[in-house]
Amino acid sequence: MFLTLRLLSNRHPSFIARTVFVKNNNVDDACRLVNRILGKEGILEQFRLTRYYEKPFQTRRRVNHEKCKAIYNEDMERKIQFVLRKNRHDPFPGCS
Amino acid sequence: MLSAIRNTLRVPVTTATRLFQTSVVQASDKFDHKRIPLEDEGVQGEKIVDLDSALKVKQNLFPTLDSDNLLFNGMLYKDLPICNIRVSHNNTIFTLTDAAGTVKVIRSCGMEGFKNTKKGTNIAAQTTAISIATRAIDRGFKTIRVRVQGLGPGRLAAVKGLQMGGLEIISITDNTHVSWNPPRARKARRL
Repeated sequence: MFLTLRLLSNRHPSFIARTVFVKNNNVDDACRLVNRILGKEGILEQFRLTRYYEKPFQTRRRVNHEKCKAIYNEDMERKIQFVLRKNRHDPFPGCS
Repeated sequence: MLSAIRNTLRVPVTTATRLFQTSVVQASDKFDHKRIPLEDEGVQGEKIVDLDSALKVKQNLFPTLDSDNLLFNGMLYKDLPICNIRVSHNNTIFTLTDAAGTVKVIRSCGMEGFKNTKKGTNIAAQTTAISIATRAIDRGFKTIRVRVQGLGPGRLAAVKGLQMGGLEIISITDNTHVSWNPPRARKARRL
């Protein structure tokens, strides 16, 4: 309820979203966590994409390239898993 | 206890592998093994797991609705002065304001004596940050929260510099303007 009240007065209240507290004066870690969140949410990607206008042909090319890459990566991952498969119960003996 | 469960899980798997030797069974064998690290469980879910674990380990890493009323050095969180950092490719601008948004100190890499392309470096950002930190301490600001806006080379160095200058940073916020239905951006650079 408090959140809705706050959202009514201000659609984007600051210091709620994309905020990380610094623990033990460890600024580096906090910065990294913020960046990780931004990267994973796709905010940085969107920022870079909308910095300059992307012509439609460029959008098409980019999307196609992403599709190809996703297919390739999926297949490659499967291949690697196949090559690295283990047929023993202790897959890495002596490493426990 | 755990090993007992693991053994019970393993028994059907052993028979299956001996009978069929299929890759599917191997996958399940691999899955319930003790030494398979958590990171191996897919790329998509890894992200969520990662952040969730961060949440669990440090309970008060992220602000809640009550965090406005937390005390830091005898001040409420919502009353702490704010250091806005505008990071761009060509410059870094620091603005120290009180909680209401009134500007107290403003410094930029250009004001600090860096000219042209040197303004947009991380060294310039750090020097400016240290300089604004000393000015802020002169005016009696000790604990601040930081709001960063934009991407650029000085992004990390700026926050680091504020700390090196002697300010205590309580929280870091990102306030980069990002839109999912933006107006048409300027035309792309020709390289």
